[in-house]
Amino acid sequence: MSESLEKLQNRILSDAKNKAEETIKDAQAKSQQILEEARQRAQRESEEIIAKANVEAESIRRSILSSKVRVNRLRILDEKNRIVEDIIHSVEDQLSRISKSEQFEETAQRFVTEAVKAVDTDQPVVRIGFRDVSKRNLDGVSRVLPKGGKLVIDEKPIDDLGGVVATDPEGKVVFNNTFKSRLERLDNQLLTLISSTVFGE
Amino acid sequence: MSGIDAVKKIVETEAQARRIVDEASAKAQQIISQTREQAERIRQEAIARAQQRREEILSEAKNKAEAEALRSDQETEQILNNYRKLSEERKATAVSKAVELILNA
Repeated sequence: MSESLEKLQNRILSDAKNKAEETIKDAQAKSQQILEEARQRAQRESEEIIAKANVEAESIRRSILSSKVRVNRLRILDEKNRIVEDIIHSVEDQLSRISKSEQFEETAQRFVTEAVKAVDTDQPVVRIGFRDVSKRNLDGVSRVLPKGGKLVIDEKPIDDLGGVVATDPEGKVVFNNTFKSRLERLDNQLLTLISSTVFGE
Repeated sequence: MSGIDAVKKIVETEAQARRIVDEASAKAQQIISQTREQAERIRQEAIARAQQRREEILSEAKNKAEAEALRSDQETEQILNNYRKLSEERKATAVSKAVELILNA
């Protein structure tokens, strides 16, 4: 009786110890699983943070560079514009002083001829006005006018730089052949010419 | 040993067995609880390292971009100087050609 009681007691305790060991083992196994999952999750979250950072870094880089490139393109354009404007001012200055050049008479005659042809009338009214030009300088111009034509000499340069304006007798048809008008009409060609000469473009 | 004594012994042994199981259960809970805390620490440390790396990546990108921007400034300055030089060298020719164009076009 006593022996079988002892066996029973040992068995009860042995079962309890086995169960306890199993419980601890389960907890340790679960613990390993929790740690492994935590490491994997941390790895995933870290990789996400780094991936986002790389995208953000590229965005920052592009933003800084595109802003700088834009500013520098504008600086280059401004400088080219400044150079072209400077040349055009010199051109205007040279044109406004044409009366002192040998080309003047021939040029004035040609401008008048072109203007008269453009208004296409037998009785054109031609206004002419250049800086520092007197009637005496314009004798040659009268010769290219048709017989019914009228020459009006302005004391001041027309449109600031000088030139010729022809109209029909009623003033309905007008052809402006001043330097300013020619500059405007030839604007594209002028810019191309200056750019190709100075910048080789 | 009487039957009553035997029953008492069994009851005591079962109580002892329950204690062993309960203690193991408590210890298991403690292991899990400590592990969860450790897991959270691992996660927080990893995230902190990643955040630190993020700051480094952003700072490196900014520095690199600023260095490239500086190069762009230097290249632009060279282009501008070249334009100014070309302008000085070719202005008279450009003016002469432009005047010819306006007079004769």
